[in-house]
Amino acid sequence: MKPETVLEVKDLKTWFFTRRGTVKAVNGVDFVLRKGECLCLVGESGCGKTVTALSILRLFDNPPGRIVGGQVMYKGADLTTCPMPYLREVRGGDIAMVFQNAQSSLNPVFTIGDQIAEQVMVHERISRAKALDRARTLMEEMNIPQPVRALKMYPHQMSGGMKQRAMIAMSLSCSPEILIADEPTTSVDVTIRAQIIHILRELKIRRQMSIIFITHDLSLVKEIGDRAAVVYGGRVVEVAAVENILKSPAHPYTVGLIDCLPDVSSQAKRLPSIPGNTPNPLEMPPGCPFHPRCSRVMDICRLTMPASVKITDVHKVSCHLFGDKNGGIAR
Amino acid sequence: MNEGKPARSGKRLLDYYWERLCKNRLSVVGLGFVVFLSLVGIFGPIFAPDPQKTDFMIKNLPPVGFSIEESVYEITTGESTTTVVWGRPDHPLGTDSKGRDMLAMLISGARISLLVGLLATGIAIFLGTFIGVLSAFSGGWVDNVLMRFTDVMMTFPFFLLLVMIVFIFGPSLAIIVLVIGLTGWTGAARLIRSETLSIRTRDFVTASKALGASDARIMFHHLIPNVSSLIIVMATLSIPGVIMAEAALSFIGLGDPMSTSWGTILNTGQHSLDTAWWVAVEPGIMLFLTVLSFNFFGDGLRDAFDPRASI
Repeated sequence: MKPETVLEVKDLKTWFFTRRGTVKAVNGVDFVLRKGECLCLVGESGCGKTVTALSILRLFDNPPGRIVGGQVMYKGADLTTCPMPYLREVRGGDIAMVFQNAQSSLNPVFTIGDQIAEQVMVHERISRAKALDRARTLMEEMNIPQPVRALKMYPHQMSGGMKQRAMIAMSLSCSPEILIADEPTTSVDVTIRAQIIHILRELKIRRQMSIIFITHDLSLVKEIGDRAAVVYGGRVVEVAAVENILKSPAHPYTVGLIDCLPDVSSQAKRLPSIPGNTPNPLEMPPGCPFHPRCSRVMDICRLTMPASVKITDVHKVSCHLFGDKNGGIAR
Repeated sequence: MNEGKPARSGKRLLDYYWERLCKNRLSVVGLGFVVFLSLVGIFGPIFAPDPQKTDFMIKNLPPVGFSIEESVYEITTGESTTTVVWGRPDHPLGTDSKGRDMLAMLISGARISLLVGLLATGIAIFLGTFIGVLSAFSGGWVDNVLMRFTDVMMTFPFFLLLVMIVFIFGPSLAIIVLVIGLTGWTGAARLIRSETLSIRTRDFVTASKALGASDARIMFHHLIPNVSSLIIVMATLSIPGVIMAEAALSFIGLGDPMSTSWGTILNTGQHSLDTAWWVAVEPGIMLFLTVLSFNFFGDGLRDAFDPRASI
């Protein structure tokens, strides 16, 4: 049985028109998000993960950014074109977002309780007392010790982990259907990271929430993800269930990423890496954006963009190695 | 910063600023004088005698503890006799050339000066905040238009404009307050714009946008509270300028003739500097102390709000 789709991103293109040229940060991203699943967007810095997430809620600065094509379908409406008041309802109410830097994602001049209560009152017409009550429940759900006291704290009085959990509590305050978490664990230490992963997993199960988890850390993908989409050069190059991605990666880029995973037991002195850097977004190479770094590059890769090909029912990849032109799967 | 200390109440942050302010002695003294002056300005005129009441029998009385020699020329004998006049306790600060009580006039002046200072600064800071935040938040052509307008406003020689408008519309407190307020917002607008520009890019603004906040909500809930310390400091530091401007206007005779302000007293005092020095000196001292106090207090506030300042 296929669970219902809650969000569908179709051929999304977000370009930034700067003085130095057009930056095609997101250049044809496709994916679907199903109910109660955690989809991981994986990729190096600068590959377009964050801009993809921001584009879903139209949060990038406009100008210079603009969505030049594609759709983000949610509940039958296209979020890229819907009117602003509707989008504001969706933001926080239906789709919430948590940012990587909890340190600066909270307003320094108000207490945590005030901020969560305000957030509730933006979307629902309830009294302040009730909103604060809701805030307390959320803080408890986030395993924050002494929630009542924590509500009266200012952000600078909290630890990094508490702030990140408070931030998650705030984004959950209106029971959104989808949570977009943009590298929520980059600025916290490993123990807090484990707590946050635990919380997100709980939410997924208990609230049947769909999560888009953005990360560059494949070990996190393994822990939390159901499916993973590998992003490179503003496009999704491979999407599959997490086990498939990790055990039988198809795209040479994914293979490279997995090879880069540090292995504690390994004796190797030097970690393997993918040669080269992410392409300069101002001068995207023609054809497949990965071809200058690809170890299995072919002539066709330099000329045409590979189309998305289904390897199995749940595994899709955009690479000429798997295209029909090359006579099927070459691996 | 406060790790381990219990967060007692929502007042925590203000307490912290208050503690920092108290470490600066001068600023506390300044605040004390400002409070004293405000009380005098609010309640003084209720108890003081009418500052406009003239009594030529007691003109030019010196303050208590001082004396002047008064020579009286007798027409009949052709002799001049010199008498020493001492200050009288019922007019502790003396009287002017029309026999008006100096203390009563200074009290009335305190009310006028503070009123003009607060109202004009209020208008200026309100406009400055609004224009600065709007400009920074909107960006693009709105920002351009507003800031070029600010530049144009800044090129007007402010005092000349004030003199011209008062000359055209006639001197009244309302006109003075309006003119100072409507021209004095430019510096505030620029400062607040630049501060807002840096706050606008902070993550919590994007985060609240991501959770459905409207533009107005972001402006009033996130941007303005975060520049409020700047607003308070600027307001405190611009009040003395306004008080001086009003005094200067009154001094050159363009003040409100219906009210007694420190500038007006100074104006009458300058004609009798040789006979009754206190009429000019007393309002001068008041202006000096007031401006100094506001500046000390403002400086202290600025340091208290500045996280980098070591106190």
